Amino acid sequence: MCALSYFLEREGIMTTGISLVRENTESMQPPRALWVSFPLGRPLGKPGDAAFQHRVIDAALNLLNADHGPVLVDYLEDAPDVAIDASPACPVSFAKPADDTDTWEAMLLNELHTLTPWHDLGRRLRQGRTLVGVSEFSVTDNLQKLGQLLDNNTLPITELKWFKAAIEDAKVFYIEALTAQPGDYDHNQIEQIFWHETRMGAATRRFAELFLEHPELAAFARIIAPRNVSK
Amino acid sequence: MVRLTDLPEYEREHLLSKNQPPLGPPVWTRRGKAISELRIALITTAGLHFRDNPSFEFADSTFRPISADEDANNLVMSHSSVNFDKTGFTQDVNLVFPIDRFRELEAQQKIGSLASVHYSFMGAGLDPHAYEKSASQVAGLLKQDKVDAVFLTPV
Repeated sequence: MCALSYFLEREGIMTTGISLVRENTESMQPPRALWVSFPLGRPLGKPGDAAFQHRVIDAALNLLNADHGPVLVDYLEDAPDVAIDASPACPVSFAKPADDTDTWEAMLLNELHTLTPWHDLGRRLRQGRTLVGVSEFSVTDNLQKLGQLLDNNTLPITELKWFKAAIEDAKVFYIEALTAQPGDYDHNQIEQIFWHETRMGAATRRFAELFLEHPELAAFARIIAPRNVSK
Repeated sequence: MVRLTDLPEYEREHLLSKNQPPLGPPVWTRRGKAISELRIALITTAGLHFRDNPSFEFADSTFRPISADEDANNLVMSHSSVNFDKTGFTQDVNLVFPIDRFRELEAQQKIGSLASVHYSFMGAGLDPHAYEKSASQVAGLLKQDKVDAVFLTPV
């Protein structure tokens, strides 16, 4: 964000915008930036709240009134926390069956089968909107292949681009299913469910462990799983 | 609410490692007209694009156009980082790409107009100087579209 701001302004185009990491912006000194305290991934603060988003935008546009810069202003309104007990309940139970001896492929496809009605519902309620589709293959095909890779204890070292897209598509599929019911969600709670209760979260963590053991591809572990969920 | 001091040490260190000195001498473009007369484009570094556009690579300084004629609800995200929340964006495209909010500002005549084309980059994994060439390309496209100002959103 800082680099684009600098280069565009140098070409004669005014820029203003959002800073999510104040320290980065302070060091790079783009012409105009509004620092917000919102979580990474939420530059406008709160989904579905037009009034809140307008207040943020107004504050950032107001920086265009400054006579000289660089201008770095702190936005003083925090995004409201979502009480966990106020969020809609998780629609699916991910409790492990007593005899959990299935293959990764079977476990992932069974989980997908359980989640699909909720994903369908969420998509209908969002007027057809979905973030799934970065991969050129279906979620079913991707999970089947991911499961087979784990069953063979193999990394897709010649298909890393497919692999990253497959993992991302699977994760947004799960998020969209888990948040199918209308309401405010605590994103930390959804992350917790995905990474620590679902087979897909476990599978992704297993892939991250395998990458960490690879002599040349250890860095790839960080591209599929945050540091706090993999060893 | 999230501040660096609220984050785990590994994440705080990762973000602080991205601190860079200014890219050059200070730059500043003066506003020649009222905000209510400005033509504004949105640019995000969230790695957004339509499904029929190529995904972003793991480290990628190229950009994707987001035509104002297309439905922003069809945007997908191929950002290489896993260190940010996606649940909010699955609920509301405006959380990252506030196109509906700017259309409302345009309708209320609080801004002059919206650009014909907006742009998306993927902000991760590269030195900031790597974006110089593509930013210059976008600046040329914005000038052709008579854009006065850009509203930038990270992710």
